[in-house]
Amino acid sequence: MMDPADNAVTIDLPSNYAVRRYKDWVMSGLLILATLIAVTPLFMVLGYVVLKGATAINLSFFTELPKPFGEVGGGVANAIVGTLILIFVSSIIGIPVGILSAIYLSEYDRHSWLANAVRFTTDVLMGIPSIIVGIVVYTALVLAMGNFSAIAGGVALAIIMIPTVIRATEEMLNLVPYSLREAAYALGFPKWRTVLQIVLPAAAKGIITGVMLGVARVAGETAPLLFTAFGNSYWSRSITEPIAALPLQIFNYTMSPYKAQHAQAWAAALILIVLVIALNLIARFALRSKNA
Amino acid sequence: MLAKLAKRNKVLIGALALLAIVMTIAVSGCGSTGTNTGNSVGTASGKQVMLNGAGSTFDLPLFTKMFAEYPKVNPNINVNYQGVGSGAGIQQLSDMTIDFGASDAPMKDEQMAAAKGGKILHIPITLGAVAIAYNVPGVPKKIKIAPDVLADIFLGKIKNWNDPRIAADNPGVKFPDLAINTAHRSDGSGTNYIVTTYLSSISPEWKEKIGSGTSVNWPGGVGGKGNPGVAQAIQQTPGTIGYIELAYAIQNNITYAQMKNKDGKWVSPSLEGASESAAGATIPDDMRVMIVNAPGEKVYPISGFSWVLLYQHQKDKTKGKALVELLKWMVHDGQNYSESLDYAKLPQSMVGRIDKMLGTVTYGS
Repeated sequence: MMDPADNAVTIDLPSNYAVRRYKDWVMSGLLILATLIAVTPLFMVLGYVVLKGATAINLSFFTELPKPFGEVGGGVANAIVGTLILIFVSSIIGIPVGILSAIYLSEYDRHSWLANAVRFTTDVLMGIPSIIVGIVVYTALVLAMGNFSAIAGGVALAIIMIPTVIRATEEMLNLVPYSLREAAYALGFPKWRTVLQIVLPAAAKGIITGVMLGVARVAGETAPLLFTAFGNSYWSRSITEPIAALPLQIFNYTMSPYKAQHAQAWAAALILIVLVIALNLIARFALRSKNA
Repeated sequence: MLAKLAKRNKVLIGALALLAIVMTIAVSGCGSTGTNTGNSVGTASGKQVMLNGAGSTFDLPLFTKMFAEYPKVNPNINVNYQGVGSGAGIQQLSDMTIDFGASDAPMKDEQMAAAKGGKILHIPITLGAVAIAYNVPGVPKKIKIAPDVLADIFLGKIKNWNDPRIAADNPGVKFPDLAINTAHRSDGSGTNYIVTTYLSSISPEWKEKIGSGTSVNWPGGVGGKGNPGVAQAIQQTPGTIGYIELAYAIQNNITYAQMKNKDGKWVSPSLEGASESAAGATIPDDMRVMIVNAPGEKVYPISGFSWVLLYQHQKDKTKGKALVELLKWMVHDGQNYSESLDYAKLPQSMVGRIDKMLGTVTYGS
């Protein structure tokens, strides 16, 4: 990274310097171009959603229930809260199960056939289309309970979240140097304390990122909610009732004939994106203060 | 180290507090609506009931309007309806995960037999017309397409817009030399059922080769998901012809064609034309009937019912009574919300028969 101009006095420029500089420009240019191409769609999506959605957003959008189709106004308050509740329910189930499984895989049973089997299933689970998870939960929970519910929706989302959390956490735990654990043992720490107070804090940053990725992944899921959370035009009275969710609301609005609902769909999409970004920012903020 | 831990805990506690606030808002939000609290105990104002329904996406806009108005008449009943598709609605009713279903296609005998809760009633609730939409540059709105011509277009036998058979019904219109591309619904839908039943009724070749159903093997063309998908396919490619629900065509200014009805009159798709189909057709006692190509001067031939489906025997007496009351309102006063949303009213001649049918519902375990 030396600037050739500063060193011109002491270092003779190689004979092919011009060619090398040219090559450098070309390659740097290509890298920048590739980055731009990668980033452009992201900003186009964001920009377009903001452009289309911002106009329909006002206070009542956050406080009111959806208006009947064909009518302007109304809000998606129940869907926003519904999505938060679904994220909450799925996190309560998914995050502990995911992190504890990862601790087991990384700290207690790294190489047994069981661990390998779990790793393999996790990878398979990660690749399963989310609607199939929805069907499984529908058969196992909804049919058994006899009705759609926020619980069923949360379980479906948790199943989708768990593999992401397991894989991210396990990788982070594996990155913690073994010498740290040995040092703890040398000081007389029992294993559980080593895991809890040495290994987990050391890997916290990566684990939280992994968890947030898992949460963000499920926040926008539509397919697994269709036949589990089902959707609700009203507030839900309990988590054993059908519950509204932003992705479901967006889907319904998009398929309708009316322009008022199309505008609402864009606005709801914007809210969903902001929600996911906010989740990511909260995680980053939490990490930054930890490292300070 | 300790300070660090304390600091991190603070952040964690902060995050948890934020979550707690959100949850509190959520819970208080649920409570504050008032109209739908508590389904177990009877209160002074009567029992609060929430009915869950699912099915036809075609019905969704009308139903959301009706169910937003109904609590003004009867504040004790709230209705949550989700447009998951006619087929899924039938499946959910059959699995008894919902209180009522809605479908644009009548249930088949084997579907009726598979239902877990016994005999299912078909209650006609509204009518829809399907518009034949097209995008041909330079060609005016509302061109005339004869039934046999439509069938042969979708069969792939008429391949170009300058075909003399199209021009024959449209004197004075100059059709370009442009290949015909057909668009259809790729998802299983009641609209498909109406269109394919119509094509089967006018073309023996269609009936034999393709038949009718919520999803069939289309002889060609492109598929689109839902009305928006088909509309997009039509608008993107000049020369494309397809079919969409009339409400969608009207709301989105899509060009559609006139069709020739059984009486030989040219008619544009209209709400009146759909209502006339129901008035003109012979409707059996169980109401499971397709009314395409019905006789009558004003009939628009590609029309059909949409039905609410419910079990004749309602195990939950409270919910069952609430549901029947709701349905009675929907076929009487509720019909007034149809036309502003581009749905056709049920003809008066049918309302009495539907009331009678609702009277056969039984309650209790």
